[in-house]
Amino acid sequence: MIRRNERRTFAERNLLIILVVMWIFLSIATRGNFSSWSNIANLLRQTSINGVVAIGMTLIIITGGIDLSVGSVVGLSGMIYALLTSTRGEIQIASSLAIILSLGAAALVGLVSGVAVHDGKVPPFIATLGMMTLIRGLVMYISTGRMITGLPLSFRQLAVAGFLGLPVLAWIWIIMVAFMGFVLKYTMFGRNLYAIGSNKEAARLSGINIRLNMYGFYTVGALFSGMAGLMLATRMAAGVPTGGQGYELDAIASVVIGGASLSGGVGTVFGTALGALIIQTMRNGGNLLGIDPFIMEIMIGAIIILAVFFDQYFKGRKEG
Amino acid sequence: MPAGREVLKLENICKSFPAIKALDQVNFAVRAGEVMGLVGENGAGKSTLIKVVTGAYARDSGRILFEGEEVVKNSPIISKELGIYAVYQEVMVAPDLSVAENFFLGNQPKIGPVIDWKKMYREAERFLEEIGIEIDVKRNIRELSVAEGRMVTIAKSLWQKPKLVIFDEPTAVLTRNETRILFRIIRDLKKRGAAIIYISHNLEEVFDVCDVVTVLKDGAVVGSYPVEELETVDRLIPLMVGRTIEEMYHKREIKVGQEILRVEGLSGNKFQDIDICVRAGEVVGLFGLVGAGRTEIARAIYGADNFDQGKIVINGRETPIRRPKDSLIHGVGYLPEDRKNQGIFPQQNVEFNINIINLDKVMKAGIINYNQAYQQAQDYVDKLSIKIGSLYQQVSELSGGNQQKVIIARWLCKNSDIFIFDEPTTGIDVGTKAEIYRLFGEILEQGKGIILISSYLPEMIGLADRIIVISNGKLAGEVEKKDFSEEHLLTLAMKNVISKEKFKEVV
Repeated sequence: MIRRNERRTFAERNLLIILVVMWIFLSIATRGNFSSWSNIANLLRQTSINGVVAIGMTLIIITGGIDLSVGSVVGLSGMIYALLTSTRGEIQIASSLAIILSLGAAALVGLVSGVAVHDGKVPPFIATLGMMTLIRGLVMYISTGRMITGLPLSFRQLAVAGFLGLPVLAWIWIIMVAFMGFVLKYTMFGRNLYAIGSNKEAARLSGINIRLNMYGFYTVGALFSGMAGLMLATRMAAGVPTGGQGYELDAIASVVIGGASLSGGVGTVFGTALGALIIQTMRNGGNLLGIDPFIMEIMIGAIIILAVFFDQYFKGRKEG
Repeated sequence: MPAGREVLKLENICKSFPAIKALDQVNFAVRAGEVMGLVGENGAGKSTLIKVVTGAYARDSGRILFEGEEVVKNSPIISKELGIYAVYQEVMVAPDLSVAENFFLGNQPKIGPVIDWKKMYREAERFLEEIGIEIDVKRNIRELSVAEGRMVTIAKSLWQKPKLVIFDEPTAVLTRNETRILFRIIRDLKKRGAAIIYISHNLEEVFDVCDVVTVLKDGAVVGSYPVEELETVDRLIPLMVGRTIEEMYHKREIKVGQEILRVEGLSGNKFQDIDICVRAGEVVGLFGLVGAGRTEIARAIYGADNFDQGKIVINGRETPIRRPKDSLIHGVGYLPEDRKNQGIFPQQNVEFNINIINLDKVMKAGIINYNQAYQQAQDYVDKLSIKIGSLYQQVSELSGGNQQKVIIARWLCKNSDIFIFDEPTTGIDVGTKAEIYRLFGEILEQGKGIILISSYLPEMIGLADRIIVISNGKLAGEVEKKDFSEEHLLTLAMKNVISKEKFKEVV
């Protein structure tokens, strides 16, 4: 008979437990402040931008690569949107068209990385490190290093808008997690991702078009950074030239805590979402408990290492 | 036989994993100057036993005596200090260091604090020369071929002057000549009084090199037998599985139908002007020495590599094959020689590995129906009696034989017309081999054709209906079943390679 009780991966099951324990602990320790609806809404909003970047990062890490350029792409898409719509600028186009163009620019960056990685055989670390610097320079150049304000009101309101009690930004993240979770599990795109990530040559011999798929993964991955860039722009109510700087680190941390393997082939969007939530819960909870934020960063660093350590440890026990 | 003192003695060793008793009261001893073959089906417990001896696994109970002294606590470091050296299937040396450095690792000759490179190279060179291996000692291991890397690992066993050497499938990637050097090294080790444990699926080889053979079955020792007593391989196989070699190669008569694949004048990088024709219900063997171009030809037919000239006719129609996708569509399947690197998706589960090319059957509007997907996989797991814990199990956790079955399931499910099997039974135990041969029969009965590449001549002769011999990238002849003989095939295989005298030496 087919056993169907192993659908959640090891990492997912345990992370869910860890997260619940953390939430219960924080609720008690803060006498209910943590579990207040407004704080939960706040927590989800704080997680949402990194959460969306991390979805894209999950794709790239499952291929066995890494994307260091996500932060710069976040900055790029927000800046392009700001420059195209700002009431203080020379050009003003429709907000929806500006959104499409910003996302298009982000996707293009991903495509270039994909070409460099697949056709140029440049290691992903190097290719995206280059793109990180290149795109950040580009953002600085087109904005002349200034913050661009004067975004359309409807766009700025997105940051504070809510739906069914949750911030719209949180909804965007949740929907994207559900959507990409579905895509990775139920479509050829997802199956090809895991196939290529676990054995590229076997995937090729199974008739999978490696080139097209790799372009796809990097493009879609960057598209999520572009989306996060727009989310950041609405929160800041501006295009910020340094926007998104350092985001790659939180995104990688989320993916790794979420159970993905840097050698490829392993990882889920749901696990990454839990990883992102754990990081943000520590920051949020630490803040409520009045713990020095620097101390919190030390602990988050330790958690990243411990997460991978325990994953390896239990894997070893299972095999050994 | 020079039976010296007991170097290693195991008493009532037991080791269990969750749900499996891997070793059950294992007793045996290896003496100085003795080569003991360890044989048994995959999963019989050979690897577990070796890992207990080297300390990679902790035993549950039982005693290990090394040179008469009990090894109470064991670990890979402790066993190494005792003088146990294991040559595993993988190359176990530092890949970015030179050959010489690998020999001297940890005790490089020095002048003051500075490494004496000259002395190191000189001594390593002299050592390799002595045992007859021609490898530049200054080259990095990474630059060597797999076989050369393996030779270095093996040579290192002699270098370290160990008391017990364990060879785990040492010849899997070696050519005949290298195998000969290996056997010479083993004889040298014997002369120096080392005890040797030799594990191989190749039973002929075990007979060539071992003094005593210990048979393991389901984690228990069936018995230890001096080789002279056993006389032939045929006596050994029933001890392992209870089946004779004739039964394994038993082939049903199948009516040969019309031509389903024709390759005409195929030329590529390593082969020229190859013609092959496969008819329904037929096994066509592709035989040649290692490096003759067999795999390259198979890969070209499948579209895995490009070819320069020639045409491929499938079911009477000329079909352009440029990439694997083309052959998949036109009903040609390829089961690569290198399962680990080209066949399986190690971190993915059994369902994923079977369905990777068969999702179209369980998809609707671009969405996978997992109920159907798991059912489809389960059907083939049952059909091929693949031993798995569940469909969610990672395929890397399966034994080599079951991994191979998963790949066969993949192609059976695809319902291809032509199956190209490249070394389908390397590293696979006798029991699973027999099952794979049975599957051959089923494939043929459905009116499909098989191209078989195998370096194992008894297998080739037992299974093929016709054998096409490739020598140095060119057709050397086509042999009908009535003319099959090892000598004839080998003669053809060496036609374009070497002179008569050299031939005699190799055979």
